[in-house]
Amino acid sequence: MDEQLKQSADAPLLEVNHLRKTFPLKKSITGKVLSELVAVEDVSFTLKPGETLGIVGESGCGKTTLGRTILKLYPANGGQILFDGKDITNYTKAQMRPIRTDMQIIFQDPYSSLPPRSTVGDILSEPVLVHGIVPKEEVKAYVMDLMEKCGLRDYYYERYPHEFSGGQRQRICIARALSVQPRLVVCDEPVSALDVSIQAQIINLLKDLQKSMNLSYLFISHDLSVVKFISDKIGVMYLGAMMEFGTKKDIFDNPLHPYTKALFSAIPNPNPDVKMQRIVLKGDIPSPANPPSGCRFHTRCPHATELCKQQKPEYRECEPGHFAACHYAGKA
Amino acid sequence: METEELKKENETVLDTASEHAAAVEETEPHEKNVRLMSPTQMVLRRFFRSKLSVVGLVMIVSLFLFCWLGPVVYNQWGQGDVDETGKVEYTYSEVTYVDENGETHTFYQVVETGKTVNSLAKPDGDHPLGTDKTGKDVLARLMYGGRVSLAVSFLAVFIITFFGVVFGGIAGYFGGWVDTVIMRICDVLMCLPGFPILLIVGTLIDSFGIKGQYKIYYLMAFLTLISWSGTARLVRGQILSLREQEYMVAAEAMGYSATRKIAKHLIPNVMPQLIVSMSLSLGSMILYEASLSYLGLGAPEKYAAWGTMINIVAEDQNILQNYFNIWGPPGICIILAVLGFNFVGDGLRDALDPKMRR
Amino acid sequence: MALLNKHDKKKNGHYLSGKEIRAIAKENRKVMNALEKKKHRKAAESEFISQMKDDANILEIEDLHTYFFTDQGVVKAVNGVSFEVPKNATVGIVGESGCGKSVTSMSVMRLLQGPQGQIYSGSIRFKAADYQRDEKGNPVVIGTAEDGTAQYATEEKVYDIAEMPIHEIHRIRGRQIAMIFQEPMTSLNPVFTIGEQLDEVTFIHTPGATKEMAKARSLEMLSLVGIAAPERVYASFPHELSGGMRQRVMISMALICNPRLIIADEPTTALDVTIQAQILELLQDLKKKMDGSILLITHDLGVIAEMADYVVVMYAGRVIERGTVSEIFHDPRHPYTIGLQKSKPTMDSDSDTLFNIPGNVPNPVNMPKHCYFKERCSRYTAKCSGDYPGMVQVSPTHYVACHLYDETKQGGDR
Repeated sequence: MDEQLKQSADAPLLEVNHLRKTFPLKKSITGKVLSELVAVEDVSFTLKPGETLGIVGESGCGKTTLGRTILKLYPANGGQILFDGKDITNYTKAQMRPIRTDMQIIFQDPYSSLPPRSTVGDILSEPVLVHGIVPKEEVKAYVMDLMEKCGLRDYYYERYPHEFSGGQRQRICIARALSVQPRLVVCDEPVSALDVSIQAQIINLLKDLQKSMNLSYLFISHDLSVVKFISDKIGVMYLGAMMEFGTKKDIFDNPLHPYTKALFSAIPNPNPDVKMQRIVLKGDIPSPANPPSGCRFHTRCPHATELCKQQKPEYRECEPGHFAACHYAGKA
Repeated sequence: METEELKKENETVLDTASEHAAAVEETEPHEKNVRLMSPTQMVLRRFFRSKLSVVGLVMIVSLFLFCWLGPVVYNQWGQGDVDETGKVEYTYSEVTYVDENGETHTFYQVVETGKTVNSLAKPDGDHPLGTDKTGKDVLARLMYGGRVSLAVSFLAVFIITFFGVVFGGIAGYFGGWVDTVIMRICDVLMCLPGFPILLIVGTLIDSFGIKGQYKIYYLMAFLTLISWSGTARLVRGQILSLREQEYMVAAEAMGYSATRKIAKHLIPNVMPQLIVSMSLSLGSMILYEASLSYLGLGAPEKYAAWGTMINIVAEDQNILQNYFNIWGPPGICIILAVLGFNFVGDGLRDALDPKMRR
Repeated sequence: MALLNKHDKKKNGHYLSGKEIRAIAKENRKVMNALEKKKHRKAAESEFISQMKDDANILEIEDLHTYFFTDQGVVKAVNGVSFEVPKNATVGIVGESGCGKSVTSMSVMRLLQGPQGQIYSGSIRFKAADYQRDEKGNPVVIGTAEDGTAQYATEEKVYDIAEMPIHEIHRIRGRQIAMIFQEPMTSLNPVFTIGEQLDEVTFIHTPGATKEMAKARSLEMLSLVGIAAPERVYASFPHELSGGMRQRVMISMALICNPRLIIADEPTTALDVTIQAQILELLQDLKKKMDGSILLITHDLGVIAEMADYVVVMYAGRVIERGTVSEIFHDPRHPYTIGLQKSKPTMDSDSDTLFNIPGNVPNPVNMPKHCYFKERCSRYTAKCSGDYPGMVQVSPTHYVACHLYDETKQGGDR
């Protein structure tokens, strides 16, 4: 029994292999896709129970699409999603329904993610009732307990979302996601819309909940410092593809991809005396509908060569467990 | 998964998080005492802020009272009662003749012109708004006619909304070819000219031998069949934008069934826009009803409706010129009703518009 | 109606009663009407001409109160704010959402949405370089420039912006104080080309400007903000440009009239990190080149640390601490400032839990009498339940509003 448990703890909860997601841009009359936007291309990783994987990238890099495709909110166009050993890539909506309780999502905007005309109590009880998490009589006590865990007062139960500030709303969102006792939570920029002091509260809350409920997080953010704080592993995305992937230590102590390095130095340092030598990337992010040839990053890369323009770099393991998609990664 | 096991786990959960709560405890007194407005209060406040919407509301409420309570108080005359008191009226004419003596005599000849019904009476104590050509009391007919006009419009709007919600909802929620088919049907319906078709249908109804007083109901029912496309488009658009809202994605991620998502999350959030569009289309339905009646497609003269009452001026120039008391009041009622519904609709739009949320 | 939810009907005392709502509306109407009348009054120039307290300053805000009269009560968005912007300096206002930093800048520009938003009291003194005008109000010509356009005499005048009637504000807005907004996506008009929008600024604010002159000026500004192909951008429409480019265009638009003060309201918040780095570098560069001050409003301490010379920290409509950038970052005094800096995860920290300030910003209606931060403060004392603390000077340039430093005032006051 114990051994079984141990084994299941080591087995990945989520495994993503060569995932691809495209959106049609133009369709012919017969419905044939003429041109498409590749939002996520060839992304692979594994996530163990109780672990946090941070996904970092700028707007248009496909990180949100990745999160939603894994939850099967969008159908995947290729590759494989294994959840708890089951291949859910081609599950229908009906097949997904029973495992919906295992995977949940928290959104960036705490204003549009709560239905405006329901009370907090209704919002939190509804999923519990629908999925029959606890017997009907115990629902209210269960919700109250959940609210306390998420730092919400009991008298919030009868109030409406519009009465709360962003931080409190985000706590409600977290409580709603946890109400069905999930194992995987996709956090899609959960703190980006919040103030600094509230951000810290929410991050700490997420960390505490993770410990006590053995949750796995897929933590999507554009803010490297936040990702660093909460993640065990980090993936850096650019224009739909994974640029670099590794443990937190790998990424922060030994970044291999020039894009990762540029991201680090772009963060303003809250110390007026430290004037960093900053790598400022030139130009804008290209449109994901029309990514550059060869290496996607070559248009902005300070070290780009002729090879980068022509040949797409392979996404390879440069060090054990540390992947990068750059021709020159790991070579001096 | 063992729920039991997880529950147990949950009980040990989060001592740290409750510590958070404990630390926050300090803020409670102030925060709890803050008093805000409930959503309903906010809507009412915004509605009553505009004077026009209050005026509109007063107009509509008084019209309703007038039509439904009026006949209870003013019950001397029914809508079909003819005042048969008849009146003896005299006409004078001057007659002049010259006698043998060459003197000229002038005298008045009195001619008695009796009437069996008291038609075209001027307003007086007995008939506050006078009587019409057939001797029916105008005020009583105004009240009964209002009942028909208002009831027909309400009925029509509800049917239109029902069709609109069903078809628009299906198109918006399911998308794909269903959406395409429904929207193309809407396009076709929008091309149909309303009045000519209704004229044809009116003739058809006659040929089926349907009783005159129900004709207007059939016509309006037919009208709803061809005019739900506007509401359907509104609902579809609204649902398309709501589907992008993150709480709908959250509902999807929760694995709710389609019925639950539509009934509990989509429809209640489309309601505000629907209520606004309903109150605005009430005005146009009243106009439709009036125009149909005016064109002679409405109830027979015996059964009053505002449109039918105005219809009389088309036949008789004399009434148009000399008897404002017959065609004026129903005209004013129509204007009041249309204006009132539009004012209320505008007020509701301001009150329910989520962009005004503050 | 679906809106009439069952919960509303319960009398739980949490919601206002109808009577209270009517009382609030009545009171609001009274005050709002009076303030609106003042805003639209006809006033002689002498009524809004003022004097600077310190001649080295370009902007002095003193005891500014900006209120929003909402249905739920009066929101004191800016509640007694005082600070100054010295010449050629960058002052950063930092604070969380709802702290009143944006409302302060809107008050300076007089862009508040009336009739709800009103400057209730206080003064905003601004030293403007306005055209000298003759009796008829026409600018005085003193000569002709090389390109044949007239040159005008200017004179320095100190206006009290808070007292100015709204139709006089064109003397300041755009020409003397320019603004850069957060959303580069929506701040440009989509139906005009960039060039048309840039030229318009010159036409409005320079009397007798010609088309060629305006275009030359616009192109000059576009290249100043680091746009490589100004001619191409000049002819393009906003939707053809990326977010970073648009923000550059917005900055160039602000620079066209050589304003004495630029208000940058969260100029990099809507941008990606790598683009933010570009814009920050540009602003740093412009700071050196341009002859004017910048009022930078942001919630990002990192941006403030890089850009500002002086920092004003705001909380719930009040200034709680202000000083030079090194004082605020190396020697913060107010528990809120300290907490704010500690709670930001940094790249070089390695701790396991983040420091956090508990609780939330109090609801802006019905603010308590005592210190607004008391309920979230880890160091509060019995004194904190008393009156709101006054500003205490801890060094010549460093002020803090906290009871912890009340003694310092007696001892260390200079």
